[in-house]
Amino acid sequence: MNPLTFAARRLGAALIILLILIATMFTLSHLSNTDPAHAYLGAGASKAAVAAERVKLGLNLPITTQFLHYVGNLLHGNLGVSYRTRNPVTQDLAEYLPATMELAFYAIILALLLGLALGIATAARWRGARILKFVMVSGASAPLFLLALLGILLFYGHLGWLPATGRTSIPNPPTGPTGFLTIDAILAGRFNVLLNALQHLIMPATVLAIGPAVSIGRVLRGSLVTVLREDYVRTARSKGLRDRAVLLRHALRNALGPALSMTGLQAGLLLAGDVVVEQIFAWPGIGYYAAQSIPVGDFPAISGVTLVLGLFYVLINALVDILQRVADPRVRA
Amino acid sequence: MAVAEPYVPDPLGPARRFFRSPQSGPRLSGSLRSSLRDTNRAAWYAGGLFTALTVLAVAGPALAPHSPLVPAGAAFTPPGHGGFLLGSDSIGRDELSRVLYGIRTSWFSALGVIASGVLIGGLVGLLAGAAGGWLDEVLMRLTDAFLALPGPVLAIAVVAALGPSLLHTLVAVGIVWWPFYARIVRGEVRSLAARPHLEAARLSGASRWSLMTRHLLPGAAPAIVVTASLDVGNLILTLAGLSFLGLGSPAPAPELGAMAARNLSYLLQSWWVPIMPAIAIFMLAFLSNMTGDFLRDALRDT
Repeated sequence: MNPLTFAARRLGAALIILLILIATMFTLSHLSNTDPAHAYLGAGASKAAVAAERVKLGLNLPITTQFLHYVGNLLHGNLGVSYRTRNPVTQDLAEYLPATMELAFYAIILALLLGLALGIATAARWRGARILKFVMVSGASAPLFLLALLGILLFYGHLGWLPATGRTSIPNPPTGPTGFLTIDAILAGRFNVLLNALQHLIMPATVLAIGPAVSIGRVLRGSLVTVLREDYVRTARSKGLRDRAVLLRHALRNALGPALSMTGLQAGLLLAGDVVVEQIFAWPGIGYYAAQSIPVGDFPAISGVTLVLGLFYVLINALVDILQRVADPRVRA
Repeated sequence: MAVAEPYVPDPLGPARRFFRSPQSGPRLSGSLRSSLRDTNRAAWYAGGLFTALTVLAVAGPALAPHSPLVPAGAAFTPPGHGGFLLGSDSIGRDELSRVLYGIRTSWFSALGVIASGVLIGGLVGLLAGAAGGWLDEVLMRLTDAFLALPGPVLAIAVVAALGPSLLHTLVAVGIVWWPFYARIVRGEVRSLAARPHLEAARLSGASRWSLMTRHLLPGAAPAIVVTASLDVGNLILTLAGLSFLGLGSPAPAPELGAMAARNLSYLLQSWWVPIMPAIAIFMLAFLSNMTGDFLRDALRDT
């Protein structure tokens, strides 16, 4: 199949999946035990006012019409109004999203690098490989909040090397044009902000990256071990190349595919963990927004966050599939 | 060719005999014999660990020295002082007792969700794989669509809609967990259906029902068991994460994730209050991952 046709098909599938997600969220909003009309008007509202609000919100219409309205509103970027902040959810998300994007971006890069290192180190023949495998099982078993708490205890409480909360401690940081504080700081020429932002990023990004890194490392190790048994690797060895050159130059390229797919899949785990990590580190992203919305049952806000995270997840995985198709001719068969 | 097999005490013998091809079966070379011994040991380790964890979860409350809900001494007693092995929390409740109760909740919640995932996913996968045709197509498309969505994120939304409680958390995670098993069971069933012994059963006039329950299901069982056991650790962590976000039982209930979350603000002055429950989750997840690894080694084709 032509790569372009494949890309179009893959994106079509992604679209259907997103529709299913939207239908799920619509169903959930109707299952929700909070009546939106009551939530907006407060407990003391009169019956007439609630009835009028229900009409205003379109809750008296047939369910199919409501669904079409719901989809139409989504396409216009209208996700409803948050019960808690009383702002349109879209506005809240726009405010909180850049921080999450930045954190997730660095966490995924870090997970990929760490995963590569772990995969190569455990596939190579040396004494530390066994110990490293044990460390990896531990990393995969540690709840995010344990890692986060231990990190704060050690690097903030005990050593005082790293800050524990927020994106930056410098007042009036540059805002825009990208929303990534690290990039905006470079563009504005304020390198003290860049340094400070990076310090704030280290702990949350590392905590988020460890779980996915272990999964990526395991998959990479598996495919490396398989590739290392192939004939061309033996040829490379027998023509006198050193182990390291064989591993890094010859085997790694061909073993990378499954690890990249895993990175896409792990993005989902990372996004779910993001909610926990942002709450612990008071990182002003959509995970923090969601965590604040959960105790008060602010369903429009939570549903908005779920839709955005779901959209990212589906797009990232479609992109990984398409890229792999382009990069590795063997997948095209 | 019927040759008596040498006697090897083996708790998973039936599962292994099922996998063994007729050629390699009777002849046990020295190295194969020792690898059999290894798989034997792995099976015993897996069984032992699983039993130990379940016993701990069942007997935990009986072992607890104090009530998990009533203060038993001074607040913020460090571990090892005042009769509190793991210290006491912000109102003087015994951490050890709360952790022991929490372990019970975590362990049985994870097992419950796994069981529901295996049941629903297994049924869908078995139906799709055995029926084939349009039913297979429809069921698997649905499964793939759910697999393509971020499960834990979706679970957060489901609990938020239903209202926070332990039961709702289990239902939500159960809803997002089954598609994974449907995929695996369907794959196993499809590959089994092409094997000669299934062909033979079909030719001998076995009904569809007996094909499914007598031949396909037992054949898929080892793969399901290994997958499920490797999944328990994941599930413990996911459930703990949801509990941490306040989606589990309300306040005084001893739930490990929530215990860590609610005592976050005491981290720097009394580290043990939020850290002990987090360590308990780590231990549970670590031991279940080890169990899964051992079981996989034990059931790997010999």
